[in-house]
Amino acid sequence: MSELRDEIEQVRRDYPAAAHSAVLPALRLAQEHYGWLSREAFEEVADALDLTPAYCMSVASFYDMFHLKPVGRHMVEVCTNVCCGLVNAQAVLEAFESELGVGPGETTADGEITLRAVECLGGCSTPTVVAVDRRYRQSVTPEQVPGIVEELRRV
Amino acid sequence: MSEVLVLAGAEESPLRDLAAYREAGGYLQLERARAMSPQAVTQELIESNLRGRGGAFFPMGRKASFIPTPDKVAKPIYLTVNADESEPGTFKDREIMLRVPHRVIEGCLIAAHAIQSKHVYIYVRGEYLAEYESLQAALGQARDAGILADVAIVIHRGAGAYICGEETALLESLEGKRGQPRSKPPFPAISGLYASPTLINNIETITTVPKVLEVGPAAYAEIGAPPDSTGTRVFCLSGNVKRPGAYELPHGITVRHLIEEVGGGVTEGRTLKAVMMGGSSFPVMTPGDLDTKLDADSLGKKGYFIGSGVVSVVDDKTCIVQFALRIAQFYMHESCGKCTPCRVGTRWLVQLLRAVEAGTASEQDLEVLLDVCDRIIGKCLCVLGDSAAMPVASCVTKFRDEFAAHLAQGGCPFGHDSTLDGLFAPVDQHAHVAVEV
Amino acid sequence: MSADLVRVTVDEREVHVPKGTGIVETALAAGIEIPVFCYEPRLGPPVGACRMCLVEVDGMPKLQAGCTLTAQDGMVVRTARTSQQAAVGQNATLEFMLVSHPLDCPVCDKGGECPLQDLTFRYGPGNTRMRFEKTTFEKPITISPAISLDRERCILCYRCTRFSESISEDGQLVFANRGALSVVTTFEDEPYTGPFTGNVTELCPVGALLPTQYRFEARPWEIVNVPTVCGMCPVGCNTNATVREGKVKRILSRNHPEIDEGWICDKGRFGFTHLRSADRIVDPIKRVRLRGFEPVSWPDALDEAERLLRAAEGRIVVALSGSETVEHAYALAKLLRRGLHSHQATLPEPISHALDAYRLPLSAIRDAQVVVVLGDVPVEQRAPIVDLWIKAARRNGAKVLTELDEDAVRGADRAVLIWCGPGGDGGARVAALAERLGLAGKDGCGAFTIPATPNGRGVADAWAAASDEEAPDAETIGLLIVSGDEAAGDPNVRALAERAESVLAVSMFHGLAVGWADLVLPGTSYLERDGTYVNLEGRLQRLRRATSPPGPDELEWISQLASRFGVEVAPYAASVFAEVSAACYGGLSFGEVGEQAPLRVYAGAPAHVEAPPAAEPAAGGLRLVSYKPLFSGPAVERVPELQFQRPQAEVELSREDAQARGIANGQEVRVSSNGTSVSLRARVNKNLRHGVVRIASEHAGGLLGNVEVSA
Repeated sequence: MSELRDEIEQVRRDYPAAAHSAVLPALRLAQEHYGWLSREAFEEVADALDLTPAYCMSVASFYDMFHLKPVGRHMVEVCTNVCCGLVNAQAVLEAFESELGVGPGETTADGEITLRAVECLGGCSTPTVVAVDRRYRQSVTPEQVPGIVEELRRV
Repeated sequence: MSEVLVLAGAEESPLRDLAAYREAGGYLQLERARAMSPQAVTQELIESNLRGRGGAFFPMGRKASFIPTPDKVAKPIYLTVNADESEPGTFKDREIMLRVPHRVIEGCLIAAHAIQSKHVYIYVRGEYLAEYESLQAALGQARDAGILADVAIVIHRGAGAYICGEETALLESLEGKRGQPRSKPPFPAISGLYASPTLINNIETITTVPKVLEVGPAAYAEIGAPPDSTGTRVFCLSGNVKRPGAYELPHGITVRHLIEEVGGGVTEGRTLKAVMMGGSSFPVMTPGDLDTKLDADSLGKKGYFIGSGVVSVVDDKTCIVQFALRIAQFYMHESCGKCTPCRVGTRWLVQLLRAVEAGTASEQDLEVLLDVCDRIIGKCLCVLGDSAAMPVASCVTKFRDEFAAHLAQGGCPFGHDSTLDGLFAPVDQHAHVAVEV
Repeated sequence: MSADLVRVTVDEREVHVPKGTGIVETALAAGIEIPVFCYEPRLGPPVGACRMCLVEVDGMPKLQAGCTLTAQDGMVVRTARTSQQAAVGQNATLEFMLVSHPLDCPVCDKGGECPLQDLTFRYGPGNTRMRFEKTTFEKPITISPAISLDRERCILCYRCTRFSESISEDGQLVFANRGALSVVTTFEDEPYTGPFTGNVTELCPVGALLPTQYRFEARPWEIVNVPTVCGMCPVGCNTNATVREGKVKRILSRNHPEIDEGWICDKGRFGFTHLRSADRIVDPIKRVRLRGFEPVSWPDALDEAERLLRAAEGRIVVALSGSETVEHAYALAKLLRRGLHSHQATLPEPISHALDAYRLPLSAIRDAQVVVVLGDVPVEQRAPIVDLWIKAARRNGAKVLTELDEDAVRGADRAVLIWCGPGGDGGARVAALAERLGLAGKDGCGAFTIPATPNGRGVADAWAAASDEEAPDAETIGLLIVSGDEAAGDPNVRALAERAESVLAVSMFHGLAVGWADLVLPGTSYLERDGTYVNLEGRLQRLRRATSPPGPDELEWISQLASRFGVEVAPYAASVFAEVSAACYGGLSFGEVGEQAPLRVYAGAPAHVEAPPAAEPAAGGLRLVSYKPLFSGPAVERVPELQFQRPQAEVELSREDAQARGIANGQEVRVSSNGTSVSLRARVNKNLRHGVVRIASEHAGGLLGNVEVSA
């Protein structure tokens, strides 16, 4: 049995009443494993939870955090909702765009970094919030952007 | 300064360690509650008039009392805690999970006792990684210390969908489905998770529970703005204000007090134009109403909502059409797509507001805009549609002159100087997806 | 007023309905229509998605969805007829639906029979206020060779995906994305596959999901729907054959709540184009010495048939298909048995009356607490709709077993036994079991056998009704009559033909009978016949001629031929039926069979059934069940849109057996028996019994008896 399969079996136990409740955690595990939700990823999750790949794809496509297309090794997500927007999130996003040379929703040509604009991340008192590889950076200013990108290029 | 309850002990630094939490009186109320009958615990919650902090403001004790007792149902009873905080402007639940995770656990266990549930699921917003880790660490400590007893608490992580904060969408998501709301009735208290009786509470509400027991229901009911808006609230102050933050204060302070005294006033050199009051889902507040008290009654009388305790300051450098547009874009992005008015209406609103902002709209378009709002409000399966239409309609009616100026000038009167000018919305990232699938 | 009834006022009309009745039905009881799109009770609980059914209810501040609301005593409901608020709500819903809906009704196949069109006409806005870009998609796309999808027309009512998820339970047709970007789709580029996919084209309330076969074929005002029953399997689903200018253009379901609940399988729905197959035989074909085979006229063909019949001197064997109508079979039987004193006939499998004491409508399966399915042939491959009833039972909480659990059956108030497989002895085996378990006369209890032929029972009844005489089987076969395509395609019949001095075949297609029969008469399809069928419930149903065959049908030429032997056979189904009915259907007249036939109970059900001896199970290895797949046979082979549905080269194994052999799902394996071996892909099926492997007959090669499977 594959490692992923083992992990899915593990999370299944959190939902003794219904295995299908484990779909979201299982998809997250598969995404961590494959980097994105490829055909194989869906097939594996479906097989482990006795569902169809179509069902798993349908669920995954509903949620923003699942990637149905390949993404970069790193993920930069800039909050552009109103609270960050009122304190100039747009400038932060633009700084990333020019630093990375890609627009929101795109991945750098080397496949390293994906830039995304996201809805409110719940860091409204520390605008602009940027999630870098899922970890929040708070009160990010356009001036800090080159440093963040350089840091990502190094790891 | 008034008494801090929910965030007590974590004012300076997070209270994450079990021993430190215990030192601050942690888990004593759980012990007390477990010595009481479940009905007695529920009774205390009813007496305190603790209201739901997620937005609906429903009395928590009464909601708990709707849950049938185990002898009446053959199914398990579930407690589900809503930590899918995603309402723009809201960050209180995040602060709570980071700062007082043990109080969250304690609240869960007391509430579970009150409804005689052995199964607790905490649905944490997927993006909240540090918060999940904080909660998971506290849960591990509590489990190791035997505090959970025979109650299983599972932290379930969402995956990025605002709508899952709606209670029935949350249940669907927890069941491994697309997070689309169910039609009610049946209500979750009767048929919730896996069609079993389920109590769903917001995490701030749950975390308040140990404190309600600690100060006593009668004393708690005196705090704030009784009879309805009892207790404290972790207000979320943000936007163009000098000292934004999560401030726990009693219900009943004024909006002005929060902005000017607590938050240090509007950002230097600006004046206040509007307040995103309660969250992005509600009508915006205009400066004339700043002396309104932050309690459900006072706000309600003026057509506002306390929502999730959001006060976000919009200053005079902001184009209100752009503000309305960005809110509409948010709801278009987050509409689950299940019911027609919300799915189609939010998209139409975005198109109309874009035309207004671009100066290509007509007076008639403004009427259509208001009518589309009308045709959404009260006709959808859940409240998301209303949440999109209410703030947009309020912007049009309260700032009609500014909308008219866009039409008259054939563009934005701010030129490109508005703070929100050109603000990118995630919904535009997905425009291509539908075609490719 | 009964205690269970509540009083509801709808648009000032008072009605009394059982408490909990949906408001849509409640209004209907008051004679008021509440328009709906997503609401479809057959798909399970209502979802309240489309918001078409908004009504105003006294005491409720917001408009309510009539589909999800249930009747409570004293409720006062106002529909759009009397409530301005509801009228605005309904108008709003339609306006929203039309925001991105293309105005291509003139070229849309749904046009003229489209609920969206109808309701817009009645309740919708006359104009659009939407002046921006509509949502556009690539269109139409095929979600399978049989079904096309136009996403721009889709109003997202979720009917199709609910069908896929909760009725056919195939989980293949789903929604992707969220909100305004939501679209119906399958996984990656996989076609929507399975026995029931076509039902979504009928569920779709707009022109989004359409059968590719019907694209630009007809407009509603030029068609006639002929109510008939499907002749593709023993269920006999009630259908409408849509006919335009004498040609069948599509098959629709015609809800019989006890038989099919309005669902039909893809073979029944899409298989009709076999009528127009390129190799359809339209003229009789005669073997001519030296010159091979050539078409002859009907008079010549009947002369030749007469000659063959006489030359056999009574040594005639008729191989029946079990797809003949009762009338056709009776006419043939009367000619052979009374005119030629020839009594030898074969059917593909034994037929028995043993189950007559255990008859139930198929819908009773849904209400059973225990359903035992024996025989190991997949039910959906033989009688697809029965599988939907079994699934419905499972969803209702029934125990569905593939191994007999006698205590479970005895302990249930409502238990149903189903035999689907070889060795059932026409139902005798399962009848004996039902008797032993005390199911006789118990309400809601009963038993079914799933025959391999659509009308085997009716054919057997007709054969028996034609004569009481019996005669010993002749040593030699003077003439073999091959009646129909199933018989023509049967290897056992071909073996008989080897022994026959001459062969007369009735067949629809060149590929089947031409080349080995001395005379081939053109056969007809069930869509071209008038007559009756007896389905697997024992229900007599009426076939109606939807389209004319290219020449005379069987009844017509048998009638002519019979007169040459002094036997009177009317060329009309009604008259022939009267004769059969007098003998075995209680004298029921043809007209009384009915468009929606009831399940009649006929006298003479055997009270006691002797259990037939069971075949000795072979020892060692895995028991091979080789079955004839649903998507196979002469008709399916001639329908291009069904080719993708042909079975995969797979062997199904139980989880235990796969594990024991270290075989993973999808792996290539060797299946062998007695020196024969076949390479197939393994499919692990958790519902299959331990010790059994299943292979579609066309992939089973020469495998027989017990097999071994190895990685």
